[in-house]
Amino acid sequence: MFLINCPYCGERDQSEFSAGGEAHIVRPKQPTELSDDQWAEFLFMRKNIKGVQFERWNHAHGCRKWFNMVRDTSNDKIHAVYKMGEKPPIK
Amino acid sequence: MLNFNSPIMDTKEYSEIKISEVEPILKINLRGKSRDFITKIGKELSIIPPTESNTSSGNENLNILWLGPDEWLLYSNNKIDLNNINILENKLFNEISKAKIGSVTNVSDHWIMINLKGKKVFELLASGCPFNFNEFKKTKGSVTQTLLNHIDVIIHNKNINDLNLFVRRSFSNHLWSWIKDSSRFI
Amino acid sequence: MSKNLRITNNKFIDQTTKISFKFDGKTLYGFKGDTLASALLANNIHLVGRSFKYHRPRGIMACGSEEPNAIVQVGNDASITEPNTRATEIELYEGLEASSQNCWPSVNFDIGAVNNFFSPLIPAAFYYKTFMWPANFWKLYEYFIRKSAGLGKSPTEPDKDIYDHRYLHCDVLVVGGGISGIMAAKVAAKSNLNTVLIDDKNNLGGTTLFQKNECFKINSFYSNDWLRKEIETLNSLKNLTIKTRTSLAAYHSYNYLLARENLTDHLDLNEKRDKIRQRLWKIRAKKVIIATGAMERPLIFSNNDRPGIMLSSSIKKYIDYYGVKCGQKISLFTNNDSAYETAISLNNSGVIVNSVIDIRNKTNSLIVKQAEKLGIKIYWKSSVVNTSGYKKINSIEFMKLSDDATTVIGKKIKEKCDCLGISGGWTPRVHLFTQSGGKLKFRDVDNVFLPDKSELDQISIGSCNGDFELDDVIKNSVNLTNKFLKINNNDYENLEIISSKEIDKKNIWLLPSDKPLGKTKQFLDFQNDSTANDVKLALREGFKSIEHVKRYTTTGMATDQGKLSNMHALGIIAETAGVKMGELGTTTFRPPYTPLTFGTIVGRNVGEFFDTTRKTPIHEWHVENKAEFENVGQWKRAWYYPIGNENMHEAVQRESKAARDSAGILDASTLGKIDIQGSDASEFLNRIYTNAWSKLEIGKCRYGLMLNEDGMVYDDGVTTRLSENHYLMTTTTGGAANVLSKMEDYLQTEWPELDVYLTSVTDHYGTVSICGPNSKRILTKIIPDLDLSDKEFPHMSFKNALIDNIKCRVMRISFTGEHSYEINIQSSYAKSVWEKCFEAGKEFNITPYGTETMHLLRAEKGFIIAGQDTDGTMTPVDLQMDWIINKKKYDFIGKRSLYRSDTIREDRKQLVGLLTDDPNEILEEGAQIVSETNSQPVEMLGHVTSSYYSPNLNKSIALAVVKNGKKLKGQKMFVPMKDKNISVTITDTVFLDKENKRLNA
Repeated sequence: MFLINCPYCGERDQSEFSAGGEAHIVRPKQPTELSDDQWAEFLFMRKNIKGVQFERWNHAHGCRKWFNMVRDTSNDKIHAVYKMGEKPPIK
Repeated sequence: MLNFNSPIMDTKEYSEIKISEVEPILKINLRGKSRDFITKIGKELSIIPPTESNTSSGNENLNILWLGPDEWLLYSNNKIDLNNINILENKLFNEISKAKIGSVTNVSDHWIMINLKGKKVFELLASGCPFNFNEFKKTKGSVTQTLLNHIDVIIHNKNINDLNLFVRRSFSNHLWSWIKDSSRFI
Repeated sequence: MSKNLRITNNKFIDQTTKISFKFDGKTLYGFKGDTLASALLANNIHLVGRSFKYHRPRGIMACGSEEPNAIVQVGNDASITEPNTRATEIELYEGLEASSQNCWPSVNFDIGAVNNFFSPLIPAAFYYKTFMWPANFWKLYEYFIRKSAGLGKSPTEPDKDIYDHRYLHCDVLVVGGGISGIMAAKVAAKSNLNTVLIDDKNNLGGTTLFQKNECFKINSFYSNDWLRKEIETLNSLKNLTIKTRTSLAAYHSYNYLLARENLTDHLDLNEKRDKIRQRLWKIRAKKVIIATGAMERPLIFSNNDRPGIMLSSSIKKYIDYYGVKCGQKISLFTNNDSAYETAISLNNSGVIVNSVIDIRNKTNSLIVKQAEKLGIKIYWKSSVVNTSGYKKINSIEFMKLSDDATTVIGKKIKEKCDCLGISGGWTPRVHLFTQSGGKLKFRDVDNVFLPDKSELDQISIGSCNGDFELDDVIKNSVNLTNKFLKINNNDYENLEIISSKEIDKKNIWLLPSDKPLGKTKQFLDFQNDSTANDVKLALREGFKSIEHVKRYTTTGMATDQGKLSNMHALGIIAETAGVKMGELGTTTFRPPYTPLTFGTIVGRNVGEFFDTTRKTPIHEWHVENKAEFENVGQWKRAWYYPIGNENMHEAVQRESKAARDSAGILDASTLGKIDIQGSDASEFLNRIYTNAWSKLEIGKCRYGLMLNEDGMVYDDGVTTRLSENHYLMTTTTGGAANVLSKMEDYLQTEWPELDVYLTSVTDHYGTVSICGPNSKRILTKIIPDLDLSDKEFPHMSFKNALIDNIKCRVMRISFTGEHSYEINIQSSYAKSVWEKCFEAGKEFNITPYGTETMHLLRAEKGFIIAGQDTDGTMTPVDLQMDWIINKKKYDFIGKRSLYRSDTIREDRKQLVGLLTDDPNEILEEGAQIVSETNSQPVEMLGHVTSSYYSPNLNKSIALAVVKNGKKLKGQKMFVPMKDKNISVTITDTVFLDKENKRLNA
C-alpha cells in the first residue's frame, strides 16, 4: 500500500487514489486528420516498462484532482509527483 | 405540507463517544478558479474561502471547508429555517454562477452531517479510516476528505474532540450502523 | 501432573492458580502463565503429533512461533475450532480443548505410520511422481491423501468470534520487545517521537528476561534483573505505546505493516464472550526498527526427530521461565556456546545433565569454563550418530569426528537420556526485513544471512542483525538507533557489561554418520517431513535453483515456512553443488510471518458490513410495502412489489400492464445526477456526447450517448438545460461515479481552457417517476398551477415548480414510452412527494413498479440499458442508433474511432430484436444464437442480451446482438438450449408503439 503525496492534499494512503495509466499522452487536437494507424497509436499503444515510468493518478476520494507521478515499477518507489500541465521534475 | 425526512434522526452515546445526526443544515458547494471568485465570496459572506489545503474558515453562522484548489463546501453552523433555505443559494448563484466566475450548487441533501464528540472519537475513526489524524486532531479547523469504512467522507475538526462528518445521504444509514457497531468496541 | 517435572521457585508462572484443560480428550492441569506446550511438558507429554509423510511420532521441539511439530487443533465447537495453531504459542486458559492434528485414529496408534517402514519407497516428490498417472485418478488419490495428511479440520459453521481492524500512525515502530527492542523504544520515546513497541509474547523481555547467569551481567546485576528495571521505567514514557501479544504479520512497502493483536485468546472460556478476539493493526510508521531476535537452529543427524529432541534454548526457557523440566536426564548436542547456558540452567535447577556433546575442539570461553566448574561432562569433537526410542527418545549414540569432520571414527558411545537438547547455532529473524523488499548479505564466519540494503526507512538491531554477544547487542543497538533517529541518547553509555564471548565456531550442515546416507533419516523440515537425502536426490535429478528444490522437495513449504529448516537446506544444497551459500541466495519469505485467521483478515467486514449499501430517500416506503430488493452496484433498488403470494413473474406482469393501462410509479432516485455550470458548458457537452447541444433551448431535455475514445458506448442519460450556462446531467445508476470522474479527467487534463464546473448532486435529489396514460391527471392534482398542455410542457422539456412551497424540477421524459414525468425534489421531501403521488394516483390504480418492470417496459420500446445490452464492444452504429451521431461536429470523444477499419466492418455484432416462434417461450439472457443446428462446431453468431414476456403484447420479446444482424431482419435463427433448439426470428428492436403515439397519450 503506497503512501502518495497528493500535490494538493499532502501524504495520503493509496486507497484514496485511483491509477489512470501512462502520463503525457496528449489527445490529438485534430483526430479526424489522423490515419487509422496514427489514431491507434494514441488509442492503444502504451509503454508499460519495467523501471521508471510516468503515470497519471487521481485523488479520487480526496480532492478529485488528477496529477502525474514518476514511479519505478520495479520497486514501487515514487520519485516525484507533479501537477497536470507541469513539466516532469525528473527525466 | 410535505414532510421533511432525514435518514438517521438519532443520537447515541457510548463511553467517551457521542454521535448524532444534525439536520437540516444548509450546504452549498462552491467552485471557482479566479481571484474574482474568492473576492466575491468574501464580500457576500464576509468569509474568505481558504486557499490553504485541508483548512477551513468561518464565522458564527457559516463555515467554508477547503475541498480542492477550486472547490469548497459552505455549511451553516446551526440548523436552518426550512422556509428560507434557498435565499443564500439564490444570492450566491446570481453573484457567482450567473456572473460566470464559478459555480454554486445546493448540496444540502446530498450530504448528511453527523456530529462526533468525545475523547475517543479518533479511535473510532481509526477503526475504518486510513487517514493520519495525528496532526489533524491538534489543529482546530482542519479538514480532510477521506474514506471511512470504504465510504467517502468529509471531516471538519470543529473543536477539541468535536467533529462534524459529512457523508453522502445514500450511504448515511450504512455508515451510521457501522459507527454504532464500531463504537461498541472502542 | 507429574510434580517432579515442575520446579517451584519461579516468578513467571502463577503456581497458585491451577488451570484445567483437555488434550486429546484427557483432562490435564497446568498453571496460569503456561503455554499449552509447557503444560504438556510438565505433564510429561512430549508426543503431540505425527509427521506429515511418514507419520513418525513427533514431539514439542521449540517454544515459540518457529515450532514445527506441535501443531494442534484448538476447540471442538463446529464454529470456533481452529486448525494449525502452535502449542508453543497458545496461552493456557480454563476450558481449553486441543487435539493432535496429523494422526488417525490417535497419536499413540497411527495407521499411517506404516509409511515409515515403506519410506525408502517414498522419496522426494513421491506424490508428484506416483499420482501423476492416470490423470483422472487424481480425484481418488486426493481423497485418501488429504484424509491422512493432517491438515486439520476446518470449522463447519460461521465464526462466532468478533474481529476488528484499526489503523495506527506512528513515528517509530519497534518490532520485538527483547533487550535491544526495549532500549531502542526507550531511546526513541525519550526523544519525543511517537513510538510503538510490539511483541508477540504476553510480556516484554525476550530471552534476557530469564537470563540469570554469572557470565552475563550488566552493572553487576544479572542481565534479567537489569532488564526488568528497564522495563519498569517504560511505563513512565508518555510517547510510548506497548502492545504485547501482538505479532507482526506483514511488512509492506512504504512502511505499511500489519500486526495481529490477540485480545482474548488467553482468557478463560467464559471471559471471551462479546469481546474482540483478534485485532489487525494496520500500521503506517515513519521509521521501523526491527528487533526480532534470532532462532536457534537444529542439527541434522540420523533420527533427529524423535519426541524429546528439542532445541537447547527452548529447554532453557522451559526450565528458567516456565519452571518445567523437559526431562530428568538430559543430554545436549551443540556446535556453539549457547548449549552451555542451558546446561548451567538445568544444573542450577537440579536436573541431571548427562553430558554436552560438542562438535568443536575444546574451547575456553567464559561459559564453557563455568560449565566445567560445575562438573558438567563435555565430549569435544564428537557427534551424535543415532538416537533410539520410538515414542520418546531413550538413548543416543555418539562418536568422535575425524579431523576433517567428514566421517566419524572410534568407539560408539551410548548414553541413556529422556531428552536431547540440540543447538546448531543461530539464525537471525530476517523474515520481516526480506518481506519489505530488503536484500540480504551472507556472513561466512557463522553462516548467517544478515540485512543489507533496503529501500525503506528502517534498521535491524540486535541478534536479527547478527549481534549475538550481550555487549555487542547493547552497544550496537543503541548506536544504530541513535544514528537512525538522528539523535544522541547517552543513557546506555558506560555500562559495565560481563558477557561470555564465543571464541570458536564450527558448522557442519549435515553431520556425518556411521551409516550410509540412504539408510537413515536426517530430518531437515520437520513439518513437511523432508530429509537431507530428499534434497540431495533433487540435486541429482537436476534441480539447481533453490526455489525449484524447495518446491520439489516441499522443504520450507509448510505452515512454518521452514523457519527451522531453510538454512540447512541451503547449506546442504550449497555444499553438494559446490557453490558458496552467499551466491546461492535464499528463498523468499512471504507474509504472514505466522498464519492469520480468516477472521482477522476480514475484521468487521462481515454480515451487514460485508459490502456497503446505499439507500434512496424513499427506501423505507418500499420496505413498508413489501418490495423485494435488487442490488444495483451498491444500491438497494426496489425490484418488484409482490402482492399476496405473487412470484416475481406474476408481479412484474401485473406492474407492467398497470403502467401502460393507467399509471405506474417508479423510484428513480439512484440515477446519477451531475450539476454542470460554466460559460463553456454547452461546448463541453458537445465534446462529451455524440450529439449536438449548443442549440438545445433552455427548458428542454435531450438524450445523450457517451462513448469512450475507442468509440464504444460508455454511458447514456438525459441532460436538461436549466439556464444559459447551467445543465443537469443524468447518468446510469452504475455509471455515475465513473462518468463524473471521466469528465473531470477531460476538464483537468485535455481541456483546462473550458470554463466548466461539475458537482455531483445524485444524493441531493430524490426522483419520483410517474408514467402511463393517467400520469398527467395525477400530476395536475399535485401541482395544479402547472400548465401540463403538450404545447406548454411538451415531451423532452422541464419546468420549475413548487409542491407545497418546496422547489422542485419536473421533467417530461420517458424511459417506458408512456406519457411520463420525473419529479426531482430535494431528498428530504422525496418520500413525502412519493406518498402524495401515490395518494393522488389511487383513483387511477397507480401501481408502484420496480426495476424488473422498468426493464421490461423499456425493452418493449427497444431502449437499451448501457451495461446490459452493451458490453464495451458496441458502437452507436452497432446499436442501430446512427441517428444520435452528429457527423457535422468537428470532434467528440470517440468520434475518430467510429470509422476505424474495425468499427466500420459490416459483420460486427449488432443489436436486433428477437421473437420466438412460440410466443410463450421466454429466452434465457446470455443464450447463444446460431443459424443452423446440424454442423459441429457451429458458429456462434451472437447472444441474447435482454428477454421478457410482454403482457402488453402477449408474447415473449428479446433483444440480442447478432453478427451482421442489421441485414438479417426476418431471418430464422436458433437458440440452442440444453434440451431443445428454440426457433427465433430476427426483428426490429422496437416491439411496441413504433410511432411513439403513447408519449402524448
